[in-house]
Amino acid sequence: MENLESEYEALLQFLYLAPVGIVQTALDGSIAMINPLSAQLLMPLSRNGNLDNLFDALDQVAPELRNLVDQFPQSHGTVCDSLRVQLSAGIPGKKDARMLSLTVLKLDESRLMAVISDITQVVRRERQLKQSEAWFSAVLTGITDYALMSLDPSGRIESWNQSISRVTGHSERAVIGRQISLFHPPGAITSDRIADRLVEADANGWSLDNGWCLRADGSRFWGNTMIAPLSRDDDLPEEERGYALIIRDITDKREAGDSVLRASACDYLTGIANRRTFFEAAELELERWRRFPRPLSVVAIDADFFKQINDTWGHPAGDEVLRNLAQTLSATVREIDVVARLGGEEFAALLPSTDLEGAVRLAERFRSAVESQRVMAGGQEIRYTVSVGVASMDSQVSGMDQLLKLADSALYAAKKAGRNQVWPHRADHVLTGPEDGAT
Amino acid sequence: MTQLANYVFTQPELLSLLASASPEALDSLDFGLIGFDADGLVRQYNDFESRAAGLSPQRVLGQALFTHVAPCMNNFMVAQRFEDAAGAGSTLDETIDYVLTLRMRPVKVRLRLLSTPAQSMRYVLIQRAL
Repeated sequence: MENLESEYEALLQFLYLAPVGIVQTALDGSIAMINPLSAQLLMPLSRNGNLDNLFDALDQVAPELRNLVDQFPQSHGTVCDSLRVQLSAGIPGKKDARMLSLTVLKLDESRLMAVISDITQVVRRERQLKQSEAWFSAVLTGITDYALMSLDPSGRIESWNQSISRVTGHSERAVIGRQISLFHPPGAITSDRIADRLVEADANGWSLDNGWCLRADGSRFWGNTMIAPLSRDDDLPEEERGYALIIRDITDKREAGDSVLRASACDYLTGIANRRTFFEAAELELERWRRFPRPLSVVAIDADFFKQINDTWGHPAGDEVLRNLAQTLSATVREIDVVARLGGEEFAALLPSTDLEGAVRLAERFRSAVESQRVMAGGQEIRYTVSVGVASMDSQVSGMDQLLKLADSALYAAKKAGRNQVWPHRADHVLTGPEDGAT
Repeated sequence: MTQLANYVFTQPELLSLLASASPEALDSLDFGLIGFDADGLVRQYNDFESRAAGLSPQRVLGQALFTHVAPCMNNFMVAQRFEDAAGAGSTLDETIDYVLTLRMRPVKVRLRLLSTPAQSMRYVLIQRAL
């Protein structure tokens, strides 16, 4: 008997000390058993201080989880394997973006088992590796056709060859001396972004980007563009520097890899960028901002009375509202802007080269566009509104986490003032949080 | 009954009283107590906590609190507060709502975190939330 007791104790301690989080829940996420490492990782995420329900605890960072389980067709099996959940943006060079990995197994019709681990370090190493891989893949693989040209130090096209005409349909006269924005649809690139890419090419040896490109006849293709300095001599005076620009049409490749890419980069419900993609883009934009401070704004958005919408019309209607919100938001911004669902009914937009005033104008356009929407769900016509907070980057702001927090405190002020409003963050708001800052 | 049995979780100035209390007195408390030293090693583990967690003191004493005994507290909400207070040379006496995983069940608790630069022993007090 004593032996059994001490064995039980040893088992308990084994579970207490397991260096991964293990949670057993019912199918609705309510927690039956949970080990300490799970609490270490989940408690900072819990908004109500409870750990009753795994889906609730993760709702702000992995809103898709409940849905994944609901829609899992089999009676048992792997619901998600090593799903990446981004917790914070981090500060480039100082603080890594925090990331969790989440695996959920369905044991039977009443139980789930989840394994949670902190993969912040793994992701950091992976990212370094990915950069060098991108370089090799651009240089070595599958180039069937490409346009090659040289650029002057300011990013204007300097030389002509036939490949430019083959890929883009432009004539020599139309391109020489022009900015490379010529090859992109309006709103897909700014002169700031071109300058950034030249600086990045100088610093890293290349600058790679994928995005929509434009042919002379106005048709679009999904292009991969690489800018590389023609000389790696750092002592060269700036006016003597030059760059090579290679544009590849990768429309076919994009379609092939699209579903995998979309699943990892996009929010399952709304199709716009997910939290992780948003923070990746934000991190890059902040690096650029640190090099050359210039207007950069963030818009935080929250659907008003969303709980009421769900309670009154049901979750499918709530989902429809979120989809409508995402579409309306995408239609309001430029292509260079990044719009994302951060979690629950929280959305955000990242607006490069946009000051506070411009961001507020855009937010106001969006707010009024939403006000005039009619969402049809289950034969019902639903109207909804949004509250919006806007903040701009300045030297007092430490990083994306804080910038978002500022936008959030303005959002809170908009809510408090009666909802369906846009509030800019003002410098006299206290930085620490909505409670003290936003009134 | 020792005098300490009358102490309640919220008692002011509890830190200095705990330092001089006998193990028997700590065992008679009606809330959990973990005392740990400046190196983070557990030195006191009272009877209430031992029963709640299902671990006997000999499995816990001398182990590192935040990595080997209570990893659930190893985040900015608990462990970081002790570190920050020690770094700043300030006194810590904060009570927070938390969830512990006693015998792998999520249990709502209130934690009282106590430390002061004047003494090497620090404490986490654990009371089941009502």
